[in-house]
Amino acid sequence: MSDGREIVIDVRNVVKTFDEGHTRALDGATLQVRRGEFVAITGPSGCGKSTLLHLIAALERPDSGEIVVYGEEITRRRDLSAYRARTIGLVFQLHNLLPNLTAAENIQVPMYETDLSAGQRRRKALELLALVDMADKARKRPAQLSGGERQRVAIARALSNDPPILLADEPTGNLDSKAGLRVLEVLRGIQRQRGVTLVLVSHDPTIAAAADRIVRMLDGRIIEEGASAEAAARVV
Amino acid sequence: MPFILLIFSNLLRQKIRTGLTVLGISIGITTVVALGVITHSARASTEEILRAGTSDFSVGRAGSADLTFSTLTGDDAEKLLAYPQIEHVSGVLMAISRVGSNPFFVQVGIDPADLTYFEMPLVDGRKLAAGAGDEIMLGNEAADNLDAAVGESVEVREQSFTVVGIYHSGAVMLDGGAVLPLATVREYERKAGLYTLLYVRVRPGTDVEVLAARIEEEHPDLATLVDLSDVGEVDQGLEILDAINLGITILAIFIGGIAVMNTMVMAVFERTREFGILRALGWRTRRILQMVLGESILLCLMAAALGSLLAVILTKLVVLLPAIQAFISPEYTPDAFLRGLAVGIGVAILGALYPAYRAASFSPAQAIRYE
Repeated sequence: MSDGREIVIDVRNVVKTFDEGHTRALDGATLQVRRGEFVAITGPSGCGKSTLLHLIAALERPDSGEIVVYGEEITRRRDLSAYRARTIGLVFQLHNLLPNLTAAENIQVPMYETDLSAGQRRRKALELLALVDMADKARKRPAQLSGGERQRVAIARALSNDPPILLADEPTGNLDSKAGLRVLEVLRGIQRQRGVTLVLVSHDPTIAAAADRIVRMLDGRIIEEGASAEAAARVV
Repeated sequence: MPFILLIFSNLLRQKIRTGLTVLGISIGITTVVALGVITHSARASTEEILRAGTSDFSVGRAGSADLTFSTLTGDDAEKLLAYPQIEHVSGVLMAISRVGSNPFFVQVGIDPADLTYFEMPLVDGRKLAAGAGDEIMLGNEAADNLDAAVGESVEVREQSFTVVGIYHSGAVMLDGGAVLPLATVREYERKAGLYTLLYVRVRPGTDVEVLAARIEEEHPDLATLVDLSDVGEVDQGLEILDAINLGITILAIFIGGIAVMNTMVMAVFERTREFGILRALGWRTRRILQMVLGESILLCLMAAALGSLLAVILTKLVVLLPAIQAFISPEYTPDAFLRGLAVGIGVAILGALYPAYRAASFSPAQAIRYE
């Protein structure tokens, strides 16, 4: 897909091994993602899709290769916290909300790394809850929410510092199909409304079909990529 | 939510563990604060004796293990009187024995003529008369305890004395005891010609500290007691108490530190995945350190508050014992509580260093994979 939009994520021939080199999770993976694009990464379990997402999120560093985000080689940065706080919003398969905090308080957690006051943080959290259609659940703790609701709170938390890139690792993996589709709808809506770049990892073809482009991985490599059928249908 | 409330909220996640840790640390802090209060109060009681009457300073035998073991002679008094700056020297002999329910009843033997200098403010009756060996002046607390009034008889060391006056000096040990004729105390103590302390009155315009230093230089066997810091020269018991207090403080920090470390290490390992998530959400290492250290400090501040409260209750209960009541009246100075607070903060920092380091050094990806 080369529609003239700027390439914001450029993964170049990345290798990542675990177990002292015995397990090769990524074996020369290369991927480009343009601004505002919705890319789904699919493939069988253990193919390296979550590892690729973790590397883009700078949760760990590759053994070799380069990852350039907004023109900057992130693997050479000493402190990646600011990058993770400002450029990336992360949604995990498990919601990973703090159990002792309410929905609104959970959304404020990444904002502690900003200069926002407590009042500003709270107001912003409430706006984000409204964005994911959870305005009435601000005071609920994770244990009081359904799986889909928790995941929507996690999406709102990922957006708390207005990142231009949203990375979602199997965000519907633990949800039933109805809740999963609702979460997907929220993610898709945010990507369109806010123009964020969305990279989503999923083994579910139904979920992946909602993307602009689908990238298939096998044994640590990208073996195929192209516009999804749904995207193709939209173009037609 | 302010960051401090987030920290507090984390502590409430394991209420029982937090509560037990606070209780455990607070016991150490209680010991430190209570001992600090008792040590200070004991020092204050000793100081009250050293400053009794209207003397400018007192003199004891250098190196005495306890104030009551200080032994001086008439020659020592003569040495002092040789200094032209000294106007008067009053010698007293102190004894301690059980009287009534008080096992540590302080008896001050003094020449009745010296009561002009060694003034005991009377609340009833009169001072000792010269030459009357069977007269006694009681402190107001002693009079209450013995239920004795002026004109009545009390028994001290198996001798009967007539109460001629009741005084209130403000000194706990003196008000719980009595003033008797010097000759009488010397006789039943079998310490003829001896004194415990010499109270010195100087002439106007004399620099007390300069004079005291000169006396010590010229007579190394004498210890001049100008202020409380000199007490150790004639009462090593208080120095020992201070050393015990310091030892307990250090022990409290180490034992409390291990308790906090145990709690914090458990909390950190239980929350490995959470720390990974926080790092993944952009938290800096410093923020994680702040959170873990903050939890530890908050834990120990709660322990310091509880420990201080328990120390006040404990010391108030302890002084209900007659043996203690005769010696001290608890004085709650900021120093004792600051020491407790310092122990709390020391424990918090010592106990949190390793867990905080561990929490901050988790790789976000590894921590997220951790189950």
